[in-house]
Amino acid sequence: MEDYMNNYRIMIIDDEKIVGDMAKMSLEQEGYAVETFLNGEAALARLLEQKFEVVVTDLKMKGVDGMEVLRTVKQLYPDVKVIMITAFANLDTAIEALRGDVHDFFPKPVKIKELKASIQRALSNS
Amino acid sequence: MRLNKVVALGKKILRDTFTAGHVTFKEMFSRFRQVLENHNRALEIIADMGDKLGGDYIFDINYIRNSYAGLYATLTESLASFDVLTQHEYPRLKDALDRIDKEIRLLVYKNGESAQREFVLPYSALTGSMAHEVGGKNANLAELKNNVVPDIPDAFALTAFAYDEFIRHNKINEMISELEGKDMYPKAASLPQKVSDFSGTPALNKIHTSIVNGSIPSGIEHALDKALSMFRAKYGDKCFLAVRSSAEAEDGEFSFAGQFDTVLNVPLESSAVQEAYKRVIASLFSDKAAAYHQQLGLPVGSVKMAVGCVLMVDAAVSGVIYSTNPNGDAGTMIINSTWGLGTSVVEGQTDADFYVVRKGKEPVIISKRIGEKRSMAVGLEGGGVTQVQTSAAMTGQSSLLEEQALGLAKKAMLIENYFRQPQDIEWAIDRDGKIFILQARPLRIASSVEPEAGCSESLQASNSFVPDVRNILMKARGNVVQKGVGSGRVFMFKHADGLGDFSRGDVLVARNDSSDFIRVMPYASAIITDTGSLTSHMASLCREFKVPAFVNAGAATKLLKHGQEVTVTADDEAMLTVYDGILREVLAHARSGLAAMEDIYEYRKKRYVLRYISPLNLLDPLMERFTPEGCRTIHDILRFIHEKAVMELIDNAMNGLKGQAAMKLELPIPAGIIVVDIGGGLDQTMNCAAGSHSVTFEQVVSMPLRAVLQGMMQPGAWHSGPVSLRVNDFLTSMMRLPDIVSGNDSYAANNVAVVSHEYLNLSLRFGYHFNMIDCYCSETARNNHIYFRFTGGATDMAKRSRRIELISIILKEYGFNTKSKGDLIIGRIANMGRGDMEKILDSIGRLIAYTRQLDAVLHDDTKVERYARNFLGGIYEL
Repeated sequence: MEDYMNNYRIMIIDDEKIVGDMAKMSLEQEGYAVETFLNGEAALARLLEQKFEVVVTDLKMKGVDGMEVLRTVKQLYPDVKVIMITAFANLDTAIEALRGDVHDFFPKPVKIKELKASIQRALSNS
Repeated sequence: MRLNKVVALGKKILRDTFTAGHVTFKEMFSRFRQVLENHNRALEIIADMGDKLGGDYIFDINYIRNSYAGLYATLTESLASFDVLTQHEYPRLKDALDRIDKEIRLLVYKNGESAQREFVLPYSALTGSMAHEVGGKNANLAELKNNVVPDIPDAFALTAFAYDEFIRHNKINEMISELEGKDMYPKAASLPQKVSDFSGTPALNKIHTSIVNGSIPSGIEHALDKALSMFRAKYGDKCFLAVRSSAEAEDGEFSFAGQFDTVLNVPLESSAVQEAYKRVIASLFSDKAAAYHQQLGLPVGSVKMAVGCVLMVDAAVSGVIYSTNPNGDAGTMIINSTWGLGTSVVEGQTDADFYVVRKGKEPVIISKRIGEKRSMAVGLEGGGVTQVQTSAAMTGQSSLLEEQALGLAKKAMLIENYFRQPQDIEWAIDRDGKIFILQARPLRIASSVEPEAGCSESLQASNSFVPDVRNILMKARGNVVQKGVGSGRVFMFKHADGLGDFSRGDVLVARNDSSDFIRVMPYASAIITDTGSLTSHMASLCREFKVPAFVNAGAATKLLKHGQEVTVTADDEAMLTVYDGILREVLAHARSGLAAMEDIYEYRKKRYVLRYISPLNLLDPLMERFTPEGCRTIHDILRFIHEKAVMELIDNAMNGLKGQAAMKLELPIPAGIIVVDIGGGLDQTMNCAAGSHSVTFEQVVSMPLRAVLQGMMQPGAWHSGPVSLRVNDFLTSMMRLPDIVSGNDSYAANNVAVVSHEYLNLSLRFGYHFNMIDCYCSETARNNHIYFRFTGGATDMAKRSRRIELISIILKEYGFNTKSKGDLIIGRIANMGRGDMEKILDSIGRLIAYTRQLDAVLHDDTKVERYARNFLGGIYEL
């Protein structure tokens, strides 16, 4: 993959392996460097040592959830875009997330094309 | 039987009182509509699941759980309506649903805990959906044996439950769980530099040894002995077994090709089979199997191993078929064949014969290449297998007769059609020339990945890249196993023991292919062999893991040097090119298309649930397996419910007469129809006051009835002139129904239409024959169906059959599926939009009118086609 990597790093956080696996494969095809995490704790630890241009996170997770990821990311790197995905299209949480400066919000299942387009927008805005 | 029913119904109509059953027709009809609505909703959920799990969406288990919960609820509701509708005629349908539901819940909620509690099961007791209980190979093969090709040797399975018991009994599960924490099989990116650095080997060896030295629990031993003594009683003491692995999902989503041991030629003795059994399950913990696990991201020990004990075929010839050519014309298949047992073909060890056969009703061999086949595998008398030199006469001689190759091709097509996907089939022909199928598994065919519109640029740009020809070390024609590009240092293979020195990114070059190469597959960037087979285990694995691989390259071992840096391309045109050095541009191009969702283990695993949901096996309502027991998927159950609900409605439509106001239908043609409106079929506003008991065509607002009547009234179609009956026709008619006076064109009001706005059940008796239409015609295409039945007649059987033939030609022209026997024909059509439905109903109306007296003029077979063409051309003269 290193042959046509375009330097953008994407972080995927979801407590279900398949979400990370599918997102990673799809986004690597676009040339992004993708790292996946199964919980918020590990992801935040990694964020301390490495900046990612876009963070895609599940909303509902045990322990550190998507909202906490969002807050921490914005504290560490205000310019980093966060995309929220969730199994529960809960309007209240969505509004809260949007107030918290989330870049985009997708209910699962997420259409891969739309996720790619959203990431592209996030990168071109930054 | 159907005819009797129709006659009985016809007679019923003439009386005033009917047995209405427990349910009124109106009630029945509303249940029918509930069935239809749920049917629709269920199919929509299935379609949505297919869509969301199709690779374009990122989904999670919650999506599957929610969707399935919705599907199950819909189905349960449908079943409740169906039970009322059929008055509980199919109690076993609930069992079928429970059975399938159990499988799905295992996948969706637990992680495939087997619910089956037998240690040994005969193949006759297995179905294709029992992969969790008996492994994919057993389930598949039993499915084939029980339904498609009986020419599969008798066999029994040692179940996954037996495996669990063995592992527990010998405390091996503790050793397996010890493996868990240790990161023995790290991800590809952090693989150790050399294969020999693998830290897992000692722990694996320990488990392997413990299994081989383990003791068989008495329950398993007892069940095994019972199965063996049955085999001895049936086949005598002189036969042998092939003891084969059948890991969970093996040969299903994952090929595991050649990963596990098979022990051939095992005598029918308990101790020998037990030893073989242990050897086979121990192979789950071999280095190469562990490497395979790692490739899939599966923890070692997470897969359970069932075993198949299959009666050995005394093979004179054996080999492998790819029912669809994976690297060429998909209209062709490949047969590989060699003398003796097939082990050398699947291991790629011998230069086998190679046939390309064009598929079709009559397959044709379009090319063949006769290999040398210097050695062959044969069974030893006391058990075991050995490799011997082939006699001079057999070397270079075709191992298959042409008719044998074609016979194999036909069987392969049967199997492919049955599973509806290309198959990798192992077969053998015994000394009496009888063909046996030994194994069939889905064949992986690398589909070329189409770039999406948005990301094709880089691909197109690199497509135009032409590397410098001066760099080329070798170019060869041969067989592309897996197309693609790889680069690295050449590792010249000498012996399996040397594979420990294989390093990450090396290009493996060898004389023959071998499934031993799986050990290095996580490391290899390409594999090239001088000789080899497209159908070997190594080939399957390369395709599965997308390792670029090329066989029959000729002289790669001579042209390339150990340690030399190369870039390898294997392309669509069966061409291998090896460049000197690492060519980054070539690599960049190649990789963009390689990765696919199917490569993700989690994805395949999660999507597996669709196997119990979407496929439709109950295609033909007249087939024997159209039973609750024959249902293997949710879709099958839906199909069964729908079909039987329609039939129930048809059979009971007549009961609707009771308590309903029957209206005489006044038409310009003397069809003598009485209409019973069960809701919105007639506009009765204009004659309510008058208390009239008749309606006109204008008052018919039932869509299907209106369309049929329009057809019947089509000028010219309703032939009213007398058609002379010949003497023998007249005599036949007298003998068949002596109580009916013929020659009167005005039918007594014995024809009944039960209608609603969207529904019609029309029974017409004209003289001696019956027409029946059952039709639902709404705005939703999926709800719509036409069922048309025609039977009887006054003329002799030959003429009546000709009329049936003529109707068959016409119905087929309109797209009906038809079945006919004697003077009975049934046609069905469904899933059609309202507009098309109305057109067809109009044509059926004409057909009903046209065929009333047609049989009398069908004096010979040549008239059939002519009158059919006339009708289709709008010419109705007789």
